[in-house]
Amino acid sequence: MQDAPGPCRVVAFVRGWSPDRAGVLELERVRAHLRGLSAELVFESEHGTWLLRPDDDPRPIERLGRTRFRVDDDEDGVFVIVASEAGPGTIEASGAVRFAHCQRSPIAGTLAPALQRATDVMLAQAPLHFTRRAWLTTCVVSGFALAVLSACKQKPSREEPEPAVRAPEAGELDIVLDVNGTKHPLRIEPRVSLLDALRERLLLTGTKKGCDMGQCGACTVHVAGKRVLSCLTLAVAVQGKPITTIEGVAKAGELHPLQRAFCEHDGMQCGFCTPGQIMSGIAILDENRATDDDAIREQMSGNICRCGAYPNILAAIKAARGGAS
Amino acid sequence: MNAFSYVRPTSEAEALRALAEPGAVALAGGTTLVDLMRLDVMRPARVVDLGGLPLDRIDAKSGGISIGALASNTAVADHPEIRARFPVLAEAIDAGASGQIRNMASVGGNLLQRTRCSYFRDLASPCNKRSPGAGCAAFDGYTRNHAVVGGSPNCIAVHPSDMCVALLALDAVVRIKSASGERTIPMSELHVVPDRPNVETSLRPGELITAVELRDAPFAKRSRYVKVRDRASFAFALASAAVALDVEGTTINAARVALGGVATKPWREQRVEQALVGKRPTQQMFDAAAKLALADAVPRPDNAFKVALARRVIARALALAGGVS
Repeated sequence: MQDAPGPCRVVAFVRGWSPDRAGVLELERVRAHLRGLSAELVFESEHGTWLLRPDDDPRPIERLGRTRFRVDDDEDGVFVIVASEAGPGTIEASGAVRFAHCQRSPIAGTLAPALQRATDVMLAQAPLHFTRRAWLTTCVVSGFALAVLSACKQKPSREEPEPAVRAPEAGELDIVLDVNGTKHPLRIEPRVSLLDALRERLLLTGTKKGCDMGQCGACTVHVAGKRVLSCLTLAVAVQGKPITTIEGVAKAGELHPLQRAFCEHDGMQCGFCTPGQIMSGIAILDENRATDDDAIREQMSGNICRCGAYPNILAAIKAARGGAS
Repeated sequence: MNAFSYVRPTSEAEALRALAEPGAVALAGGTTLVDLMRLDVMRPARVVDLGGLPLDRIDAKSGGISIGALASNTAVADHPEIRARFPVLAEAIDAGASGQIRNMASVGGNLLQRTRCSYFRDLASPCNKRSPGAGCAAFDGYTRNHAVVGGSPNCIAVHPSDMCVALLALDAVVRIKSASGERTIPMSELHVVPDRPNVETSLRPGELITAVELRDAPFAKRSRYVKVRDRASFAFALASAAVALDVEGTTINAARVALGGVATKPWREQRVEQALVGKRPTQQMFDAAAKLALADAVPRPDNAFKVALARRVIARALALAGGVS
């Protein structure tokens, strides 16, 4: 494998992209992803090849050959993209090719939604054999690669080999989790808890793992509108049911009233139990169980706060309920 | 957690077939099963998820109420007819676990709840319930939470359910299906003392609990649950009592008294009941009758307090049910 110095590069083939206003606007939506990854995007369309660094304008780069590109004039500026029938590689600063993948059916749409969609698909299929940080990077980078490869396939021929989608391991199941209004296809073992599926596969890490045995409430989410413990719920058992996590309670950029109340009343110290507290609090408010202070304490008893923020949690719930007694 | 195969039947017949397979366990709310599987205390080869079966109806008729085995604890405790006609059941459920767990836990699952004995849950300790013949760590261990009655030389683990104590006091009947047909068991015969600690109920392999039947009775309406625990909420009982009284004029016609937290199974106290019949409902009478409870107790130094505590809990519950304060 060739050295590829410099930042992690994500390779994209984007049909029809041109550096007009719409094209440039489209890129704005992927800058944050790149910044988060400390990555550069190399992308190619019928109209040329460009390099996008997160904080610069896209600029055309020189293609030296089928797989060689020149970014800068010095020797380090030449890099190689490993491309194969299986899909493009993404090359990290270390020179490691992090991923090569291709998608069964083309992903429609422009780059940003394609990235999101591709990331979802990747998360559903990739095994969990990386460290947390590497995993995150790999998934998002792969999402890019995946999105672009399918977009660049002009005329898929019938003779094309089956794409490299991993076959299920024994005992794995293909399920769809409906989380915060988005349907996420996942391939998982039945022993995976809803909590682990949310945190490790969908990267919805707002839901916390405290005790992992049903005693602390940090993992509280809503399934079909009811508060439950995601650590004692098997993900396969809740497929198809609407699931709401702390990430899904703010609407249109507005915090849920109970989230605001937790801020205003300082309903946390370290904050680890707070997502669970808020999910329980929202449920008991919706179900009219927060009738008086004792009822709130009783109803919230499944959510432990080791910092002891209970008086302020109580105050926040009363404030969100309105008509504080 | 061990790997297992997962099936989700959509009919009772399919479920019965799946449960007849060797190594199969039924999954309902998962609050016991998933917890014990994560601890490796239970390692089933096959999990049969009952969540696809239509067994969650609560059917209130004249003469009684039929509760589907998959009705959630919350649905039962919130049901207005159950609150009015069998208040002890709603009170017992509300006194148990947390809001999240009550939303998940089913009636059928609660009937089969496993003990919270810390030695049973700890793989490093010998346990006859987990591994028949291995010995019991509790006898030389810390027994504050263990049973004072209903034990055997093999096991003194407490039955943890609150709901079952109320169902026992209400003379509930458990409806069961198997490949060979349907049968019913009175609550008093569902749980067995731990002569063989790994056998906890009179259910036969492959049987499925489908419903719990409650029959209206004069004592059922005047029924209460009192639970004493180490904290105000979300803790297992040190001692609890479900009592029901049929009082006509100034005479007790019938009484039901059952204890939780002190025995290896939900524990009926017929000596107390008999002492109450025909008497005036006074605090003095209640105190005197309650003293007859646990006459056969075999307390240990750590849990001897439970005998006095349970008697006081009975007396207080009788006072509440009898309208004496």
